[in-house]
Amino acid sequence: MQEIAVIGSPEFVLGFRLVGVRATREATEPRQLAEAATAMLGRSDIGILVMDQEDYGRLPEDLRTQLRGSIRPTLVAIGLTEDSALREQIKQAVGVDLWKDN
Amino acid sequence: MADIVPTRSALIDTKRKIKLSQTGHKLLKMKRDGLMYELFELLPKVKDIRKNLVTHYNSAQGKMAVAQAIEGRINIKSIAHTQQLVPTVKVGEKNIMGVVVPSVTGEAVRKTLTERGYGIIGTSPQIDDVVDSFEMLVEEIIKAAELETTLKRLLEEIDKTKRRVNALEFKVIPDLEAARDYILLRLEEMERESIFGLKKIKEKARRRAKEEAAARAAALPEAEAAVPAR
Repeated sequence: MQEIAVIGSPEFVLGFRLVGVRATREATEPRQLAEAATAMLGRSDIGILVMDQEDYGRLPEDLRTQLRGSIRPTLVAIGLTEDSALREQIKQAVGVDLWKDN
Repeated sequence: MADIVPTRSALIDTKRKIKLSQTGHKLLKMKRDGLMYELFELLPKVKDIRKNLVTHYNSAQGKMAVAQAIEGRINIKSIAHTQQLVPTVKVGEKNIMGVVVPSVTGEAVRKTLTERGYGIIGTSPQIDDVVDSFEMLVEEIIKAAELETTLKRLLEEIDKTKRRVNALEFKVIPDLEAARDYILLRLEEMERESIFGLKKIKEKARRRAKEEAAARAAALPEAEAAVPAR
């Protein structure tokens, strides 16, 4: 069994701590975020890594690629709006915007 | 074309490569179609989960703001420390047409009031609301972790397979076919040259034989004349 890890601002992390998530790292600066994400990537006891979409976007490209390809932990980036990156990825791979509502 | 050696063995080798490339092309196209099918199956689910994730996150953040206004940040932090039951997940791996994707199941995410660890009397209902919302959010995150990552992996693989199919269809196979045609042309040319050369040698030999026969025929009466009659 693995834990859920959360990286982000103190406000972002607090809600997850309320439901019992223990593996949290408070980070706001890009350097701190990158350090925290790198540390979480190396941990085998972490199953899911949760980050804010904006914070994830501020990580270096190589680290984002590493996180995208990782299964343990699997990254989930959440935000107040829907992420357009997935939509763009679909457009690029399939050639059609399948995300739009019919 | 400069580095192609026009030999029979090179022709056989090129034909073999064409056949292999065509088989690979066909298989990759089938793989791409299979992945597309999986994608179409998965996409509506991911769209729903993404929408739910945004809704739950917005709701949880809103409720957290209210709870912080009523209870105060310090108080919420101290309540967070009382939580004993840690939500866990089991992340496995599964294979979809050669693509390794995660399979995630969660445990101890939704808790009863008594399992939450903090006292019911000392806290406001807003705290319960926040915890409820975040529990729902974590549930959605667990679902998203599996489905969204699977979708992303499938998209990456579709993109990769599409590039390979296109490279084989528009570059590798046409280049190999051009090489095969070039070798065939050169071999035919060499065959014609060799037939022409053989014909020339044959002609030369025939002419020489004719000349020698003529010389022998000319030399015979002279020899007969030189021999005295008895």
